[in-house]
Amino acid sequence: MLMHGGESEGKACRFLKERGYRILARNWRTRMGEVDIIAREEGILVFVEVKARSGNGFGGPEAAVDSTKQRRIISAALSFMEETHCELPMRFDVVAIRPGKVRLYQDAFQVAD
Amino acid sequence: MFARLLSGVVLGIEARLIEIQCDVSGGLPTFNVVGLPEKEVSESRERIRSAIKNTGFSFPAGRITANLAPADLKKEGVGFDLPIAIAILMATGQITETTERYLLLGELALNGEVRGVRGVLPIALETASEIDGLIVPRDNGLEAAIATDKPVYPVRTLLETQRFLNRETAIAPVPVDRNALRSMEQPSFRHELAEVRGQLQAKRALEVAAAGGHNLLMIGPPGSGKSLLARCMPDLLPTLSFHEALEVTRIYSTAGMLEPGASLVWRRPYRAPHHTISYAGMVGGGHGVPGPGEISLAHHGVLFLDELPEFDRRVLETLRQPLEDRSILISRAGISVRYPSAFTLVAAMNPCPCGFLGDPIQACTCSMHEIRRYRKRLSGPFLDRIDLCVEVPRVPADDLFGTHEAETSACVHNRVKRAREIQWDRMREDENCHSNAQLDGERLEAHCALEESAQQLLQRAVVRFGLSARAHVRIRRVARTIADLADSSAIQAEHIAEAIQLRTAAGAVAGF
Repeated sequence: MLMHGGESEGKACRFLKERGYRILARNWRTRMGEVDIIAREEGILVFVEVKARSGNGFGGPEAAVDSTKQRRIISAALSFMEETHCELPMRFDVVAIRPGKVRLYQDAFQVAD
Repeated sequence: MFARLLSGVVLGIEARLIEIQCDVSGGLPTFNVVGLPEKEVSESRERIRSAIKNTGFSFPAGRITANLAPADLKKEGVGFDLPIAIAILMATGQITETTERYLLLGELALNGEVRGVRGVLPIALETASEIDGLIVPRDNGLEAAIATDKPVYPVRTLLETQRFLNRETAIAPVPVDRNALRSMEQPSFRHELAEVRGQLQAKRALEVAAAGGHNLLMIGPPGSGKSLLARCMPDLLPTLSFHEALEVTRIYSTAGMLEPGASLVWRRPYRAPHHTISYAGMVGGGHGVPGPGEISLAHHGVLFLDELPEFDRRVLETLRQPLEDRSILISRAGISVRYPSAFTLVAAMNPCPCGFLGDPIQACTCSMHEIRRYRKRLSGPFLDRIDLCVEVPRVPADDLFGTHEAETSACVHNRVKRAREIQWDRMREDENCHSNAQLDGERLEAHCALEESAQQLLQRAVVRFGLSARAHVRIRRVARTIADLADSSAIQAEHIAEAIQLRTAAGAVAGF
């Protein structure tokens, strides 16, 4: 059974809270991009992308965070920075959800130069 | 959070101290290396990130900037991996002790192992006064330790380095016993002169060349033993002094040609590049900071050029200046480096394209035109730098099969050593001249005074063979070496006579 976006994000939020993340925002959007969850963990601002798949086809949920997706997340993060005047160190995580299994990738990608 | 420490970079065989500054701050997760890094330095970011994570340390979130100062100097090589990684650990509080006066070098593998790098010896040598100690890959430990009086700590992994810097574990500095190193210089002969059959005159020419540092050209048909003779040459030369060995090792360290765990190169180098060698391969070059070429890898040793006329004319012409100056300055946009190149040139060629001109058994099939063209490939100015020119004829069947008793390399080595000592003694006040091959102009007059009879003989020869002024100088120089080999302070008629004989093949090359 395929989950809806909202459903899998709720699942991811619960998962992150259990691990000590404090959720600051969900579904943060700008014209240039969007990010599913913004959270704080031990003084680090974390932008989390949630991906759900019913199976391993197409390389699983992790593989769906390609460079186009990364760019959209990064530009969303940039505008979040501007709006909040936040100067914390930042990190990008990915939560991959499969039926019965949730996996967290910390520091999944960085900003290339 | 800011951290700094020291590292080094090689520019040719010179080295410069580099300060590595690392700043970790808030913001998007980026990792930048600035300060004119070449490609391999920029790539170090991926190695550093993996090595830090795989060792179990935390890689900081946020913005990381590593600066390599001075920022206007191009940085190349992979030796910055370890120092940048350590700087990141310092900036994030994973190393708490101060390490500002230590110099670090090393490449990181993705699993955190520290791999050997090139150029450690020059860096250790030239930065000794500015640092308290060195932390280098284990493979480079000995190499660094001979060059400096500061403690050298060999490391194998990033974890070991971090624990050492945090004073959680001790690492014994690499011990160096220079006397023990010296005992390693006992010569063992790689190629034995006695194994070459016949060719007494060529062997004598080789001995004279070794004794006076003269460049030698051997001309003969294929298979007469020219290459074999050339290979014996390095062992005939005196063993390298500590200072010379250090110079040679420095070049090999820069070129990344030292064996892992090697200390000093004690053997005289022997380089025999193929005749298809490029200009950059011969004199040095390459992308980024120019690397040493064959002439520098042959420093204090022998450069053997087989099939001399087959070499690219342009490549041969570039040898002229280094043969004269005993060093080469390679200039590129933004950088110029000088490499030493005090080598003895041994060259070999066939008398004609087919190789059998003048051979008593096999007939030569070349036309006069072909022969002329073949010989014209060597320019006069190039041949000017060659003092000895001998024929290496086919070995007669009797010599090949008969029992033969020939002198060993060790015998000749000892005579050469003695002759060299005489030269050093004679020219000890002259900083730019160390061997008879360098005698010219005033020095020739000062050191090559002829006895009356020798003078007369030389005059007769000049008239009889129509010798040029250049040939005349060469004969005097070579005669000086022959006299030194005979332990005679004056040049006598017999020395001149032999010097004239050692140019038997001169007629075969135009302009000699």
